[in-house]
Amino acid sequence: MATSLLFRRLLLIGTASGLGAGTAFAQPEPVKFGQIDKADLTAAPFVGDSAATAVVLCDFGRSRMEGHGAGLQVVFERVTRIKILRKAGFENATVEIPLYHRNEDQEKVSNLRGFTYNLVNGAVEKTKLESTGAFLEKLTPTTNIQKFTLPNVREGSVIEYAYTLRSDFLFNFQDWTFQRDIPVRWSEYRVSIPAFYKYKIIYQGNQPFDVNVAKTGVTGLTLDNKVPSGGGLAAGTSTGTMNVTAPTEEHQWALKNLRAFREEPFMTTFRDYVPRLDFELMGEQWNDNEYHDLSGTWATNNATLLADDDFGGRLGRSGPLREQALALTTKYPTVVERTAAVRQLVMAAMRYNGQNRCYAQEPLRKAYDARQGSAADVNLLLIAALREAGIEAHPLLLSTRDHGRVNKEFLMLERFNYVVAVVPLADGKDLLVDATEPLLPCGVLPERCLNGAGRLIAKKETDGRWIDLVPSQRQVRFQQINLTLDAQGGLSGQVHDERGGYAAVDARAALASLGEKKYLAGLLARHEGWTVPKLTVGQAETVDKPLTLDYEFRQPAADNAPTGPLYLSPLSEFGPGQNPFRHEDRSFAVDFGMPQEETVMVTLTLPAGYELASLPKPAVVDMPEQGGRFLYSVAATAPGVVQLTSRLSLRKPVYAAAEYASLRELYRQLMAHQAEKLVIQKKAGG
Amino acid sequence: MKALLPLLAALPLSSFLLLPAAPAPKYAVDDIPAALREGAHAVLRADDEVVAVKSAGRVVRTVHRVVTVLDPAGDDFGRHAVSYDALNTLGYLRGAVYDADGRLLHQLRASEIHDQGVGDAGGNFMTDVRIRYADLRQPQVPYTVEFDYEVASDNALFYPDWQPQDEEGLAVQNATFKVTTPAALPLRYQERQLPKGTAVARSTAGSLETYQWQLANLPAVEEEDAAPPLAHTTPAVVLAPGTFEVQGHKGTSATWQGLGQWSYELNAGRDVLPPATIAKVQALVKDAPDARTKARRVYEMLQGSTRYISVQLGLGGWQTFPASSVANNGYGDCKALSNYTTALLAAAGVPAYVALVGAGAGRPDLRADFPSSQFNHVVVCVPLTQAGRPDTLWLECTSQTEAFGYMGSFTGNRHALLITPQGGQLVATPRYGAAENRQERRLDLFLDDKGGATATARTLRTGLEQDLYAQLMHELGPTDQKKYITDHLRLPTFTLTRFSLAAVPTKAAPGVVETLSLALPGFAAPSGKRVFIAPNLLSRLPALPAQVGERQTPVWLSDACVHADTVRLHLPATFKPENLPAPVQLSTAYGSYSSQYATLPDGTIQYVRRLEMKRGQLPATAYAGYLDFRRKISAADKAQVVLLMTES
Repeated sequence: MATSLLFRRLLLIGTASGLGAGTAFAQPEPVKFGQIDKADLTAAPFVGDSAATAVVLCDFGRSRMEGHGAGLQVVFERVTRIKILRKAGFENATVEIPLYHRNEDQEKVSNLRGFTYNLVNGAVEKTKLESTGAFLEKLTPTTNIQKFTLPNVREGSVIEYAYTLRSDFLFNFQDWTFQRDIPVRWSEYRVSIPAFYKYKIIYQGNQPFDVNVAKTGVTGLTLDNKVPSGGGLAAGTSTGTMNVTAPTEEHQWALKNLRAFREEPFMTTFRDYVPRLDFELMGEQWNDNEYHDLSGTWATNNATLLADDDFGGRLGRSGPLREQALALTTKYPTVVERTAAVRQLVMAAMRYNGQNRCYAQEPLRKAYDARQGSAADVNLLLIAALREAGIEAHPLLLSTRDHGRVNKEFLMLERFNYVVAVVPLADGKDLLVDATEPLLPCGVLPERCLNGAGRLIAKKETDGRWIDLVPSQRQVRFQQINLTLDAQGGLSGQVHDERGGYAAVDARAALASLGEKKYLAGLLARHEGWTVPKLTVGQAETVDKPLTLDYEFRQPAADNAPTGPLYLSPLSEFGPGQNPFRHEDRSFAVDFGMPQEETVMVTLTLPAGYELASLPKPAVVDMPEQGGRFLYSVAATAPGVVQLTSRLSLRKPVYAAAEYASLRELYRQLMAHQAEKLVIQKKAGG
Repeated sequence: MKALLPLLAALPLSSFLLLPAAPAPKYAVDDIPAALREGAHAVLRADDEVVAVKSAGRVVRTVHRVVTVLDPAGDDFGRHAVSYDALNTLGYLRGAVYDADGRLLHQLRASEIHDQGVGDAGGNFMTDVRIRYADLRQPQVPYTVEFDYEVASDNALFYPDWQPQDEEGLAVQNATFKVTTPAALPLRYQERQLPKGTAVARSTAGSLETYQWQLANLPAVEEEDAAPPLAHTTPAVVLAPGTFEVQGHKGTSATWQGLGQWSYELNAGRDVLPPATIAKVQALVKDAPDARTKARRVYEMLQGSTRYISVQLGLGGWQTFPASSVANNGYGDCKALSNYTTALLAAAGVPAYVALVGAGAGRPDLRADFPSSQFNHVVVCVPLTQAGRPDTLWLECTSQTEAFGYMGSFTGNRHALLITPQGGQLVATPRYGAAENRQERRLDLFLDDKGGATATARTLRTGLEQDLYAQLMHELGPTDQKKYITDHLRLPTFTLTRFSLAAVPTKAAPGVVETLSLALPGFAAPSGKRVFIAPNLLSRLPALPAQVGERQTPVWLSDACVHADTVRLHLPATFKPENLPAPVQLSTAYGSYSSQYATLPDGTIQYVRRLEMKRGQLPATAYAGYLDFRRKISAADKAQVVLLMTES
């Protein structure tokens, strides 16, 4: 679409020009393909990276625009040089470049070349990447993979490759990621953008650039000169080429000495944590007084979306569900109940196929006939059906956790990959409804959606707004146990185990995918030596209630149990068993997605004639600023009866990296107290 | 039937148009016998497979498969994938889905069939294997899916096998298998685990022979612990060609000799090295005293100058790249690297052969009584002798780090097919038993008077016990090694303060020494005046789940090993042992176990544990004893030392 617009405008300003492309930068290039520093082939300079398997010596990318037919292309050139330190780093010598194509638009790699350098008897030996080392795989109908592997790679080799990637997708100006899973000595990106195009440049990262230069330049573009035929925007007869001179916006950014990026538990996605540059097309300007806004505002975004057949076009038609949706109008007078009923209707009609999208891909009828579809197919049908049933419902765009955070300042629709329904309630609150997960109650978003904020799309700009994706439920586990100890150390008990909120979803999902038998066997696996004659799963189908487990167990006394006092840590079998935070420190926030609460209550009946040697001390451990609490208490509630309580509350969905130490300490205290042994002895004179 | 025709023909055309268009329901869930629903997540309603041997070089397989998904745990049966490649053409893939009553819900459209390359799945850099798959899973269970497809194979080295019950939780209502073959290409087949009374039905029509099998009403099976894989327990008919042809390369797999001969000839002449490489090898081994030393130097050269990159295209899946290609590029797949290594060894004057093997940890040995291509990997075998006795050397050529002569859990303890100019020969790869597979650990725990502790441990692992650690040592950098170990240690709260791995060759097998230090804050929090410590911090062997119902399958104990632990508890002066656990001694058909405790003269408490596990295959009735053995070990491993804090 951008190419067609361009063509029309160029006729207005196109003037023949003999000027060649301006020199973009006076600064020397950080790497020259084919010219290697011999010192990089010796081990000495790499002492500081001894823990790494490979090091990126230099990663250098440049993007500019070039004429292509009647339009422009983004031309991205890259040179990457990597030192292989260990055999484990060999995988860096195999490179895959995903290439997208859609209709006529495509991405294509050309001028692929590479060398491997080895030091052999003090001399540099250079081996060329041959064409037999490169393949293009047609992975899916829209994605090809250009892959290549460098020859003669050994420990100590330096590998180097370069290629040019031409892209017709002007909206996705080539982005740049500075950090990788191996250390990076120098990463640099330069762009040259003709003044016809305005991009908003988004830098994500908290470290300042080591080089950050912006200036203006000039470029010459060669384009097809076409005479319009009046048959459509791109139609016309080529009458040769013309040259256009344009001022450019030039940037140079570099970061140096970046550590290897390492995944930690409870994170969203790699993309959210590494320094990177993204580009958002804001507009086109082909002469002084005509600026064409392409990113515009949420008002234009709303209009675009609502006019799109695959988005707005889906909202007015629930098609085959229309009659059933209408019928619910009288059956359920309240909005909340009717919403839940409509959601049930949609879930019974269409199954989520695991694809996250905000646009439908095929006509509704096709998805409906196959009875499955993407998140967009399912939830746009939900909105349409809600409207048929007389409920005000709007689409809410969001980005899932594995797709990355959304920045409210930027308007790129590509940043979103999911849509749910918003139902405004009379009390001013919003009910967020998703029909992809039948195991969730109505009004609770799947965990993948708990990612910052979503944008409500409405016809009237003033109705559009951001809605925080605050989890409406916690992750809750509650266990109540009656234990009876006999004088030989044998134990029996009744356990009531409840999982609510997001804990219930996880449990129900596991129960469904494993089947009851395997699921229960998995739960009991950690309780070695228990016999469980009967186990009842309750409320498995009632998704708005907790999932319950009720069972009895017996644990016979050890074969050669010593006589004397009995020792027991009654809570330990029912706690997490292990501190989830095993690493000493952490670089990134702990993103649980939702608050949590875990309670274990044990009522222990001692053998007749026995008592506690001493009563353990209670404890309350608080995280700073009431971020979380662990509570532990032991009380003798009646003669021969001991009541133990352990309660962990983590009130925040996200904890900053700086809070990691106190989070880990909270769990350490929990583990230590749950492991605490009661010493149970015969009463004096008993 | 024929008599009705005139009557029908007499009806006006319009009455046909008024007839209800809906086809008659089929596969209603109610038609499934109750016994087949027991323990089943899905029921195979029909599995009708037809294999037509068209010629020595072409085999066509058609499949009609109907599965009822009973509950969400059976959902995976609602989709189906068929793979194809340059030598296997997918003729068609059709599908339909029915509701619980057997009414047609939806017919699969061509646009709903996904087609994609497998990318680098399976460790390939490039392959021509692609898959087509269809997803007919429904919003509600139960539902029934039906898939029809045909694959024409120009790779007649492999004939399709038939094993309808290939997953647990799947019952089989009806399955048939029909094979037709020209009489000139007599069928070779092996029946496995067929129920009593199942017999092949043979017939001959002209020059075509037909074989048919049928299975019905097989209840769902469940995978059990310490059991053979399902492939060894559910009914199957396995086929293999006699004479066959792949891309003009003719051979026979009727004997191991013949199969090896085909492979030898397919790859003959591909072992020519560039002169420079030959000169390099000759210089390398010039002063080597014996063949073993020569082989060692060649192997080191291979490991230092090549790496594993797998390219599988067409016949290239079976035929090696020339040795010169590896010499130039420094990479190749298992065939190419093994071929290159034998060429290097030949240049060094050491005769060697490539050997085909079915690789994979835990993969059962090949079926020696049924010659056929049961392989997925290639290694090199160097027949050496020492003091007049055979001392065969085996080389894994795809690893840059594997110890010289070591096969490990990937290719050890099984049979391989040696490829010689005279054809194939079945030989045993090295065996790794209790003498080789060892873990010897010494742990010192230092307790402070607040109940905090630190610990250091040195662990020597050899043989199969070191496989994982050797991999960690070579494939991860130190930071990631530490991360891996931290993620896998099973301790309540700890910090891994120091960690390192180092190779220590031992006489019997390669070894890796692990040295680690732990900080254990609040390790032994006092309860009143007592402190409790389980000295077995790192070497616990968990019990197995209790048996529910009757054990169905035999007991397979895969690997023999010995674990020896010595733990010393160093206590503050104010801590005195109140109670040491009693010693435990177990001796069974499955292995033996002992643990004992002692207070040393300096007040240190010493715990010594020895576990030996045996390798073997035992009847199902032996499982109860094995469970008991594991339960007793687990209980003993958790035993606690009770310490009293005395007033100082």
